[in-house]
Amino acid sequence: MLKELRNLVTKEVKEMMRDPRILLGMILAPLLIFPLMGAAIKTSTEAMQESIKNISIAVVDIDREDVAKNLTDFLKSSGVKVETLDAQNVNETARAVQGSNITAVIVIPADFSKNITSGERGELMIFGVFREGSLSESITFSTAQGLLESFKQSLINQTVQNRIPGSDPDVVLNPLNVSQKSIIKGKPVDVNPSALFAFTQTQFFGLPLALFMLIILAMQLAATSVASEKEEKTLETLMSLPVSRFTILIGKLAGSTVVAAIGAVATIMGVVYYMSSITFGASTQQLPIDLNAVGLTPNLLGYVVLGTSVFVSLLAALALAVVVSVFAEDVRGAQSLLGFVYMPLLIPMFVLMFADLNSLPLGLKILLLALPFTHPMLAARATITGDYFIAVLGIGYVTLFTIAILYVAARIFATEKILTAKIRFGRKKTREE
Amino acid sequence: MNAVIEAKGIVKVFGSIKALDNLTFKVHPSEIYGLIGPNGAGKTTALRIVSTLILPTSGSVRVFGQDVVSEASEVRKLITYLPEDAGAYKNLSGYEYLQFMGRFNSQNRENLNVMVEDAAKISGLGERLRDKVKTYSKGMKRRLLVARALMNKPKLAALDEPTSGLDVLHAYHVRGIIKQYAKDYGVTVLLSSHNMLEVEHLCDRVALVNKGRIVAEGTPTELKTKYNVTNLEEVFVEVAGLA
Repeated sequence: MLKELRNLVTKEVKEMMRDPRILLGMILAPLLIFPLMGAAIKTSTEAMQESIKNISIAVVDIDREDVAKNLTDFLKSSGVKVETLDAQNVNETARAVQGSNITAVIVIPADFSKNITSGERGELMIFGVFREGSLSESITFSTAQGLLESFKQSLINQTVQNRIPGSDPDVVLNPLNVSQKSIIKGKPVDVNPSALFAFTQTQFFGLPLALFMLIILAMQLAATSVASEKEEKTLETLMSLPVSRFTILIGKLAGSTVVAAIGAVATIMGVVYYMSSITFGASTQQLPIDLNAVGLTPNLLGYVVLGTSVFVSLLAALALAVVVSVFAEDVRGAQSLLGFVYMPLLIPMFVLMFADLNSLPLGLKILLLALPFTHPMLAARATITGDYFIAVLGIGYVTLFTIAILYVAARIFATEKILTAKIRFGRKKTREE
Repeated sequence: MNAVIEAKGIVKVFGSIKALDNLTFKVHPSEIYGLIGPNGAGKTTALRIVSTLILPTSGSVRVFGQDVVSEASEVRKLITYLPEDAGAYKNLSGYEYLQFMGRFNSQNRENLNVMVEDAAKISGLGERLRDKVKTYSKGMKRRLLVARALMNKPKLAALDEPTSGLDVLHAYHVRGIIKQYAKDYGVTVLLSSHNMLEVEHLCDRVALVNKGRIVAEGTPTELKTKYNVTNLEEVFVEVAGLA
């Protein structure tokens, strides 16, 4: 049986990998498109960062008194290029900006300094110059805003010190200091919980998406492989060979699994590269979390449980696809039949991306537990919580589910149904004979 | 002499259609036996039952004494089946296809190599065997499949319309190969055809099938003499009652 199985699997893999649709769509596209997207985003991010260095802000000082001068000096000392524009009012300012590359203008009206020194509110204007609505325009504007905010802070500090001599303005303005920490598995850990939640959320989104893609890919491959054999009538020849029907079935499943795994690896590699290029900026702002130190890295048992769970679910999906494709006459028919099957099966698992299983109403909870594709997600959570009981139960359940489907598939393969069963779409053809 | 195929009263019903209606025939060793008749007569159904692909609704078929239903896996070791209009795996080369199929019937590498070389000769495809099947014409594909069905010199080859899609020259070549394999290697052949003139030159005995029944059986000469006509086509017209 092993020799025959190897022969069958080799044939399946060759036949599929040489199919340009599969090779391009499943393996080359994700390997190329994701990195290209990533590279595009990275390049534009870098270009933007480069352009921020050249930010120039214009100042129109109509007031020309002390505080106004202080503000201009403050802006100049921040490292941002500051141009002073000669204008007497708003309209002149607008005209002066036209044709330059200035994207933010701060206008200091008359009496600005006088108002501030006499304890009243100082009026300022800031203009964003809208040209293309690009990201760098918006960043320049918010940089200018941020600088004004800092200047305001320094004014506040001065005022506080003037009114309460000898005080620390920072303490007066911020009487509370809240430090954020987490408790993980009963131990206090010095990690910001918001950062931790953000991290686990991406995990909960990433896995279902990857799993969803893998399952759909594998189901399509298995169904196409059976249906194209029916379409080409190669299945009849295969069935008349001295090889057990079960071996043929397992050969199909194994072949599709191998190709789907290659496709999944290509996709994941592409996605990882893509993610690493877009989080380029963001990750530096976030606290680096040492998951190992806080005890959130899955241990070996966790990986084994998760791997097993994903594997048995994949087998369940493949067996299901084979059963479905038996009822199709050709590849197109198989694809449409699959469409009816995987949507109701897979969509519910996305519920788990947003909700905790235990918080769901009982009916929905039972429905989700009955679906095989829910369990790898529960297993993924178990690797974080360390509570493997439900994950192991899930593996048992999905295994039984897979065996049941495989049994049905094997029964169909063993009978003439594999050649004669069909569901027709639309109008029935009338027999010509 | 033991029969290679012994079919007794096969009935096959698909839904409301009776494809075979009490079909009974025997095929002897090294014989080329033809089931001939119009499209939809039930020839393909009969071949599929003999090849263990579908089950008879009633009746029995024994191949070398083995029952096609209860001993199907034993029967599959003795036969090859060539479906009508079949394709081959598009993304494999002709050689790869022959090797893939040959591995199921070969004991070792030498054995496989001999088979594939034989198949290359039968197919007459030469260097084109290195190309992918999807580049083949219909006729080339058919020659590849006929070669596959004969390359392991099976005890019984069930060939459904073996020359369909072939031009005159290639059909002639394939008929010659079938005859040669029956004579030289003792391969028994059960074939179907709706080309009665072709069958006349190829088959030792024929059964004329119409609406799932055998309406006449014998050697082509016997049948022509019996109905006093010049060819099998006329025999068929006589017995099927169109005349």
